[in-house]
Amino acid sequence: MSILLKNAKIFDGRSLGSECEDILVKDGVIARRGSGLPEDGAEVYDLGGKLLCPGFIDIHVHFRDPGYEWREDTESGARAAAAGGYSTVVTMPNTEPAVDNPVTVEYLLARGKRAGGARVLPSGCVSKGRQGKQLAELGLMAESGAVMFTDDGSPVWDAKLLKTALLYSKDLDVRIMEHPEEPTLTAKAHVNEGVVSASSGMKGWPASAEVIDIQRGIALSRETDAPIHFTHVSTELGVDAVRQAKKEGLPVTCDVTPHHLSLDENCILVSRFSSTYKVNPPLRTRKDVKALWEAIADGTVDAIVTDHAPYHMDEKDVPFQEAPSGIASIECSVAVVLDTWLKLGEPVALEHLLSLFTSGPAALLPRPWRTLGAIKEGATADITVLDLDAVKRVDVNEWKSKARLCPWDGEMLQGWPVMTLVEGNVRMNRLEDGE
Amino acid sequence: MEWRHKDLISLEGWTREELHFFLEQADYMEELMNRPIKKVPALRGKMVVNCFFENSTRTRVSFELAEKMLSADVVNWSASGSSTSKGETLRDTVWTLEAMGADAVVVRHGAVGVPDYLSKKLHRASVFNAGDGTNGHPTQALLDLHSARKKLGNLDGAKMAMIGDVLHSRVARSDIQAFRKMGVTVTLSGPATLMPEDTGSLGVEYVSDAREAARGADILYFLRIQRERQEDGLIPSIDEYHRRWGATDSLVALASPKAAVMHPGPMNRGVEIASSVADGPNSVILGQVRSGVAVRMALLYLCLGGAR
Repeated sequence: MSILLKNAKIFDGRSLGSECEDILVKDGVIARRGSGLPEDGAEVYDLGGKLLCPGFIDIHVHFRDPGYEWREDTESGARAAAAGGYSTVVTMPNTEPAVDNPVTVEYLLARGKRAGGARVLPSGCVSKGRQGKQLAELGLMAESGAVMFTDDGSPVWDAKLLKTALLYSKDLDVRIMEHPEEPTLTAKAHVNEGVVSASSGMKGWPASAEVIDIQRGIALSRETDAPIHFTHVSTELGVDAVRQAKKEGLPVTCDVTPHHLSLDENCILVSRFSSTYKVNPPLRTRKDVKALWEAIADGTVDAIVTDHAPYHMDEKDVPFQEAPSGIASIECSVAVVLDTWLKLGEPVALEHLLSLFTSGPAALLPRPWRTLGAIKEGATADITVLDLDAVKRVDVNEWKSKARLCPWDGEMLQGWPVMTLVEGNVRMNRLEDGE
Repeated sequence: MEWRHKDLISLEGWTREELHFFLEQADYMEELMNRPIKKVPALRGKMVVNCFFENSTRTRVSFELAEKMLSADVVNWSASGSSTSKGETLRDTVWTLEAMGADAVVVRHGAVGVPDYLSKKLHRASVFNAGDGTNGHPTQALLDLHSARKKLGNLDGAKMAMIGDVLHSRVARSDIQAFRKMGVTVTLSGPATLMPEDTGSLGVEYVSDAREAARGADILYFLRIQRERQEDGLIPSIDEYHRRWGATDSLVALASPKAAVMHPGPMNRGVEIASSVADGPNSVILGQVRSGVAVRMALLYLCLGGAR
């Protein structure tokens, strides 16, 4: 079966073509790229000058499977991801039981294949039971298909264990992803330390808690010469630390989230403590938001990730201080980033921004997956089509995700994914919407 | 003045004119308290539910007296032994109360933002914040304004020293907001470990030396020190606290001679306040308690009753 995608501006993962071209997809692979390709019985989609990109990759999502399927499961999550324009996601292992063994990795891969949404690649825990005490079976999980190791939800509690994991995983080609948080500084914290903690008395979560853990990880990476990835970096201090480490030539990378790029702590006050804004790490200051965009511009940031963290309404739609932390955004995150980027007056080149959804995160995955971030003949046909002019209202009631509380619900955003292909299968198509 | 507020979640949206008008209403209510028959029919037929999810004696009793003096029907709905302990969500609880016909819910809760949350969820009933976690206690701020004004007259241009555990105090947050609206300059003092990180964002100054804060002040406001703060390691000992920041006669002597000494109660005598100060000539602490009933009457009357 073949699909012909006609008349698209093509972003190949690095650069943006100036003329409209066609892409022919055959048997799940990009067969040809060129102008005026023959239809030859292919299913034809005229993209009318829209932007064709490598399938978007989100290396940080919570699909709550196994154990918390009322919040999300692999099927709803994978479909939500495809609806949000993603062709590949990496699930976090803070489930019940935690993903700390090859059997659970294989279970998630199998469920993901059946889901009919984005490709689901599991991460595994660094430590058994995510307890931060004993090393999990990293080698066996890597063999089964785990693409990242992390105790996300928490940092790796013990520095010695983190160092051991960095050393042990070096030959596995699977990266350690650290959730940077120094727990003694964040116990019982609910909001950023600053205006909101001062005015509400809720315990503040200082920027130091993030940078202390990043500095710890950098020191261990330097000592072991092993790569480390810091996820959802939210502060100016945090990105500064990563920037310095990169300058030093260390194998240190990081990602940032759409919510930390678009929202700040004032949202909590303006909304009169709406729990939708409660997240870990917390929404920071306007200055931090600006610093994250600067870190994108100068290449400090390697990827944009959603940290999609769905909850059931009965758990999340409660008073702020009692609500769990987490923002569910995977079905509008691309639009959130594009809309913010447009409103800020395009602070970075479009190609560069798009690389953070494609070639950037792909480079952080194990070798077999690294080609996912590129459009070229012979590559897997994972494709995301963007319409930068589309203006649409976020409506959680249309979501495939089980989450129904979202900071952007009801907002008009500009710049939406309109088509997602995974291995040549159309997993989302909104080309006809609004025409 | 036409009264536009239906709820009291925080005093943020109240203007200085509204506060003046409100305090005059509270004066009338206080007169009522002096009558032999302390009851008027202003809220006859209105149902008020007092929902206290956190222990409280004085605030709950004060609200209840105010409600009864205005002839409202009063139900005390205590969180323990009720459906919340059976796992019912707060949302369901308040919808249940509203379905039973409640016109107003007075809520005290340990979590920040609960009154905001309830006011968004309730369709019709008024919400009165009787304290939400560390965030706010607006009726305390109103009663503090009322009693400070009784002692000092016009508050515009007055100086207030607020001394103690500001970090954990909802009273401090609401009072800073209310007194600043009335034109009072507020200076905080206490151990730096018991201050919010960003006191500047509250529009106040901080000095560590209590004597510096107290010098020439018209209002000395002492906050409660809870013994847990010592266990948390935020102060080395209660004794050290009392010596450095406690209300002693020598500290009060630095303030203006007719200064009002205030405390939200309940007091820890010998910790944040010496008995000689609590019972001394500058103390308006019992006046605050009396003002509490009066301002809560004014609040219920304006938001639920005849004025609307």
